[in-house]
Amino acid sequence: MRYALLVQGGPYSHQAAHSALRFAEALVRRGHLLETVFFYHDGVYNAARLLAPPQDEPHLGDAWRRLHAEHGTRLQVCIAAGLRRGLLDEREAARHGKAGASLEAPFELTGLGQLVDAGLSHDRLITFAP
Amino acid sequence: MILHILNRSPLDSRVYRQAMMAMGPDDRLLLIEEGVQGALPQLVRHFEEIAGRLFVLREDLAARGLEGQCDDSVLVVDVEGFVTLTEEADKSVSWF
Repeated sequence: MRYALLVQGGPYSHQAAHSALRFAEALVRRGHLLETVFFYHDGVYNAARLLAPPQDEPHLGDAWRRLHAEHGTRLQVCIAAGLRRGLLDEREAARHGKAGASLEAPFELTGLGQLVDAGLSHDRLITFAP
Repeated sequence: MILHILNRSPLDSRVYRQAMMAMGPDDRLLLIEEGVQGALPQLVRHFEEIAGRLFVLREDLAARGLEGQCDDSVLVVDVEGFVTLTEEADKSVSWF
């Protein structure tokens, strides 16, 4: 089946992101397609380019990137939630006159329309919220 | 059939009541994160109307030292079972 996940919890503050990641890894183990993870509300912090947790703790950013690298999962970040929280890719940083980007590929800034589309085009959409 | 997913303990939040009211006769409820507290014998009475359709996530029980302590009426599933529940349901609703 084709799955999408909606992650609304920030990393290391609530369990939501960890729950979503554990579910994501189980999904692919069972042979499902995890096509999209959409980050919304404080969930957008999962996409922060400079996450640097202690080495003996799970690195959520790297784990999401690994899903993209190994399974082609699209990592979509709500642009409205991201900009408010200082998560800008190079294009948005330039547009807003900011020095340096805080979000980079494979994470991509997208609109809420992509979330609606994920709900319509995937077999399942599972929400993980704080 | 809809899978409802609840991550709040009945001790912390009354959102479980909204979930219960929204549930159809065949719907299932999965307790995750702090929601697993609801599977304990002293709290499971809040879910007696849906006996046989109440599930709890093993990994979140274990993370809280509660594995083996939940009520016999609750069906324990691991994360693979969580995936299976989403396969079997037409859709899911998360309550938080």
